[in-house]
Amino acid sequence: MTTGNTPPAVRLEGITKRFGDVVANDHVDFTLEAGSIHALLGENGSGKTTLMSVLYGLYDQDEGEIYIDGEPQTFDTPRDAMDAGVGMIHQHFQLVEPMTVLQNVILGHEPVTNDFGFVDEEAAREEIEAISTRYGFEVGDHLDVPIRDLDLGTRQRVEIVKSLYRGAEILVLDEPTAVLTPQEVDRLMEVMEDLRADGRSLIFISHKLDEALTIADDITVLRGGTAVGTVPASETTEQELAQMMVGREVLFDRKPRETTPGAPILEVDGLRVTGDRGLEKVSEVELSVREGEIFGIAGVQGNGQTELIEALTGLRTPDSGAVRFGGEEITEMTRRDRTEAGIAYIPEDRHTEGLVMEYDLVRNGLLGNQTIAPFVKNGFIDWEVVRDHTEEIIDEFDVQPPDADNKASSLSGGNQQKFIVGREIGHDPAVLIASHPTRGVDIGSIEFIHNRLIELRDQGLAIVVVSSKLEEIQKLSDRIAVMYEGEFIDTVDPNAVTEEEIGLLMAGQRLDETDAAETDSGVQT
Amino acid sequence: MSASTSVLEYTQHRRVRLAGLAVAVLAVLGAVATAVFDVPLDRIFTPGYVARSMELAAPITLAAIGGLYAEKSGVFNIGLEGFMIFGAFFAAAATYFVGTGGAVHAWIGIGMSVLLTTMLTVLFAVLLIRYKADQIVAGLGVWFIGLGLVPFTAAIIWGSRNSPRMPGVGRVTVPGASEIPYLGRIVFDQSPLVWLTILIVIGSWVFLYRTRYGYWIQAAGDNPEALDTAGIDVNRVRYAAVIFSGAMAGLGGAVLLAHSSSFVGTGQTMVDGRGWLGIVAYLFGNYNPVGAAAAALLFGGVDMLQGQLQTLDIDASPKLLGLLPYVVVIVVLTGWGKTRVPSSVGEPYESEE
Amino acid sequence: MMDRVAGRMLEATVLERLGIALASITTAILVGLLAVTASGYNPVLFLNNLIVGSIGSERVLARTLRLSTFFVLTGVAVAIAFRAGVFNIGVQGQFIVGGICCTMSILWAAPLLPNGTVGGIVLMLLGTVAAAIGGGLYGALPGVLKAYADANEIITTIMLNFIAIGVVSWLITNPFRAEGATNVRTESLPDNVGLPPIVFGDSGFSVIGLALTLVLVAVVAVVMTRTRSGYDMVTSGYQASAAVYSGVDAKRTIVTTMTFSGAVAGIASALYVIMFQGNFIEPASIHTYGYDAIAVSLLAANNPVGVIPAGLLFGGLNSSGSYIQTYSDVPVQLIDGIVGLVIVFVAAPELFRMAAKRTGLGGDDE
Repeated sequence: MTTGNTPPAVRLEGITKRFGDVVANDHVDFTLEAGSIHALLGENGSGKTTLMSVLYGLYDQDEGEIYIDGEPQTFDTPRDAMDAGVGMIHQHFQLVEPMTVLQNVILGHEPVTNDFGFVDEEAAREEIEAISTRYGFEVGDHLDVPIRDLDLGTRQRVEIVKSLYRGAEILVLDEPTAVLTPQEVDRLMEVMEDLRADGRSLIFISHKLDEALTIADDITVLRGGTAVGTVPASETTEQELAQMMVGREVLFDRKPRETTPGAPILEVDGLRVTGDRGLEKVSEVELSVREGEIFGIAGVQGNGQTELIEALTGLRTPDSGAVRFGGEEITEMTRRDRTEAGIAYIPEDRHTEGLVMEYDLVRNGLLGNQTIAPFVKNGFIDWEVVRDHTEEIIDEFDVQPPDADNKASSLSGGNQQKFIVGREIGHDPAVLIASHPTRGVDIGSIEFIHNRLIELRDQGLAIVVVSSKLEEIQKLSDRIAVMYEGEFIDTVDPNAVTEEEIGLLMAGQRLDETDAAETDSGVQT
Repeated sequence: MSASTSVLEYTQHRRVRLAGLAVAVLAVLGAVATAVFDVPLDRIFTPGYVARSMELAAPITLAAIGGLYAEKSGVFNIGLEGFMIFGAFFAAAATYFVGTGGAVHAWIGIGMSVLLTTMLTVLFAVLLIRYKADQIVAGLGVWFIGLGLVPFTAAIIWGSRNSPRMPGVGRVTVPGASEIPYLGRIVFDQSPLVWLTILIVIGSWVFLYRTRYGYWIQAAGDNPEALDTAGIDVNRVRYAAVIFSGAMAGLGGAVLLAHSSSFVGTGQTMVDGRGWLGIVAYLFGNYNPVGAAAAALLFGGVDMLQGQLQTLDIDASPKLLGLLPYVVVIVVLTGWGKTRVPSSVGEPYESEE
Repeated sequence: MMDRVAGRMLEATVLERLGIALASITTAILVGLLAVTASGYNPVLFLNNLIVGSIGSERVLARTLRLSTFFVLTGVAVAIAFRAGVFNIGVQGQFIVGGICCTMSILWAAPLLPNGTVGGIVLMLLGTVAAAIGGGLYGALPGVLKAYADANEIITTIMLNFIAIGVVSWLITNPFRAEGATNVRTESLPDNVGLPPIVFGDSGFSVIGLALTLVLVAVVAVVMTRTRSGYDMVTSGYQASAAVYSGVDAKRTIVTTMTFSGAVAGIASALYVIMFQGNFIEPASIHTYGYDAIAVSLLAANNPVGVIPAGLLFGGLNSSGSYIQTYSDVPVQLIDGIVGLVIVFVAAPELFRMAAKRTGLGGDDE
């Protein structure tokens, strides 16, 4: 795809970017050949997004040069990058939710009818429709719909249209598949191929090896802010890439278990829960978790997992159905009472829920334990006891740096998460509900947390794990329920299914009725 | 299309129900008045009453429009009340120095007031945007400064916190048309400042929903990063919106003065909570200039009601009747709390961390 | 939005907060002096009056301390709410409602009790409890409206301030008006109600009042830092979502916070009535303690103990305000303007951080 004369679409030379003492990019070189797809692989925090933000003019590099089509460039603002033909599809969509698709696409580049800045909607409409038709996007059909009424896949296509509208020849897609269903991922891959066929050059940021291998021409791996290497996709394997990413062999294997689960302890019948927007998010869910069992809940985000967990932990009241704990109904019990009864909870978002970022670890050690003796007696807090307990957690869970007086915000994600896990299992709960327990956590901490969870299970703890990472669910779970549009579409044995089969379930297709499901799959909203 | 969307939106949600509630409250009050005090309603809702209500609503409307522009762009200008105090005072002082002879002087006062309040708001905007001051606290500070420095300066100029008598701008009476029953007094025998206010309402609606700059203001408040990555300087948009909000609040204060006979600087000053009513008006109107104006008219009408009842010799304490607008605000906010606030209000924006 | 705002205000280190507070006051007073000079008065004389008028004699010192107790207590009321991320701007209204409750409950109960010291103490306790309940309920109202109807508490509390002034003013001009009194006020409290003047003579200030104020501050500080309810409130203020996760009932905590804050404002008013005023007067003419308290609390970074020096400063400022009103021509409203400036400057710590950096003073600041 490269001819001798065409300069590369993008060449980054020795890019270095520091934030205070942290070096996010350390002399990174990167070359995107014209008319190709180049995958940028790396763990969270490896510096992928920083590198691309430098390319897009969001950050000024401390050292290094940017060349676009062979010409040196200085990008002070995204506007400069855009003018040079660089477009970026951010991981968090840069869309204004109450505004319409049309308004979002033309934002900042509005065609106007006169000097007063009146927007020429007709001109905009025609141009967007032309782009949509060219790539077969359905975006053209809902130009006047506010973004907040669109699903994530469509929003992403709006972002792509926005970049194309601005004349982007080089497109950077930052983890575009993270929020999509497998079907939407396939659709995105087709779009990317069409764009490449049309002569555009694409950078695809991901930490998913298989996707990179499928779509990319070349793959560059970043680790700890440096470029570990660039390989043609046709000449590498998943195992090799994984090794480059983490620096050592990673085993995705399950260890066989030696203990057997006991009696059911957490049971749910006919649960219906309404979400924030008044829509039913959980419909008729039944589940039963046994002592000494890890029950995994897989599914694409937004299919009701959050609301189900909130109903289990007491943060949201179900519309109907029952939650039972050790045989007793607790449907109406508050979060606080459930904590006291022995239901511990590792929340989905450690920054907003699991920790108070401005508190030191001692004060965070009390979070969730405010009613539990010996920390609190007669409403008075015994800070000495809390401090001792906090120091035990730090010690046992290898929280670095080991200082209880540090603010939570000063810890790395992995250490924050280890602290939360330690705190939540600190007083022998009977049930642990863990929502995305290793999201955004480094590999070392992931292994540590996984091993602890398995240990606790073997000691008889009942654990519910929700995760969007399939390999995590497969590695940990004794049983996997797949959630789709508020229901458990199936509950499977992790030893008896493949990742592909779970992927199909996550997309709403039942394994035993694939034919019937095909007619359903048209109704994707 | 975007216009029809917003109009559609406007009628869909709880707004209509609440406007209905507000009308119902007024109807009940009217019924009570009729039954208890034996007052014929047509003697309350006279054309003069409606016209005067519009006069009272004009300053609130102007403050509300300024406030909604600022908040849509992501800055909560809670200092509206303070800027209105400055606006009223600047108008009085400017008129006092150029001469209190007639309407021309009043107009000069209004112009000077807008100019001076705008300059003051520039300082405020720099503090909020460049120095990332806490918007709520700084806004409260502006109110207190207004309550302190304005009477202080007034006392130095006039030897009293109140000014001598000031000229008004009078009414524009269209010959012939003003004789039309009922509407004549309201439409064709009206303060020019009411007309100016109506023009500003329409203009600010068009600007917000029809021009690129309106798009930018909305994006700056809801997803500043999206605007930034589209290559527009978020803080410039915010500066413009905040400075405009100060100018409008200043104009609102000046209009208030022009509709009164003199500047009053005692107690809560003559502004007396109208800036706060402005904030509630745009929340009630869901950040739409037209909705905000309608809400302001409701407040103006309630405010006027006490005067109207008094002229009818109804035996109710003026002190308690004067509290009606505040009670209405609480009722409105309670039934109306769920206004969708732009999601990035209150957060300073920096493009590079 | 609120918890983020509160979080940002609480971020700075203690030393930095102190620096910002001092810088804010100094700058505000400098601007005030500028205004004095521009108005044709002598700034040196004004500055001198500020000092003499606050600590220049036993009499003004007693006045300074008396005003300080009110600023400290109302400041603590504000601090409770701000710490918990609730913007209670309604302390003035809660103060007024608390005060009228205190006055009227004492006046009503007085005939039922003996005249002596014991009767007096019982009446004062009763009045204080009534004030706490009245102020607490008047604070709970906007709390309930915020928690259960999502009504912005900044606006509702300001409206309720206007309403409290109007209604109480009506009450004391009509049903509660003292018979035969020339000005609008309630009957005076019986002679056995009042704090004995110790150290300072009869000046409407008692050292006992000051001591009680300090005790109350200590109680609030302990509640906020060492009890579960305090932890729940403060955690809600820092990060509401984390508080909810930890089992805090967010809505109930808002109501609790506002009730607690309003009750302290009510107690402040009980002290005002019992120690100083001896009856209740037209509420519009009562000093705006509840508004100035916002500045007091912010200066103290919403720390109950820090409110003590901040309250003393405001006591001094306002005491010299009275002095200036009597002994000079400078309009006293300037003091209110200075208070406003203090608030604006406290809101913008970044201003001083940048200034410090530029002048090389703040090299060790981050």
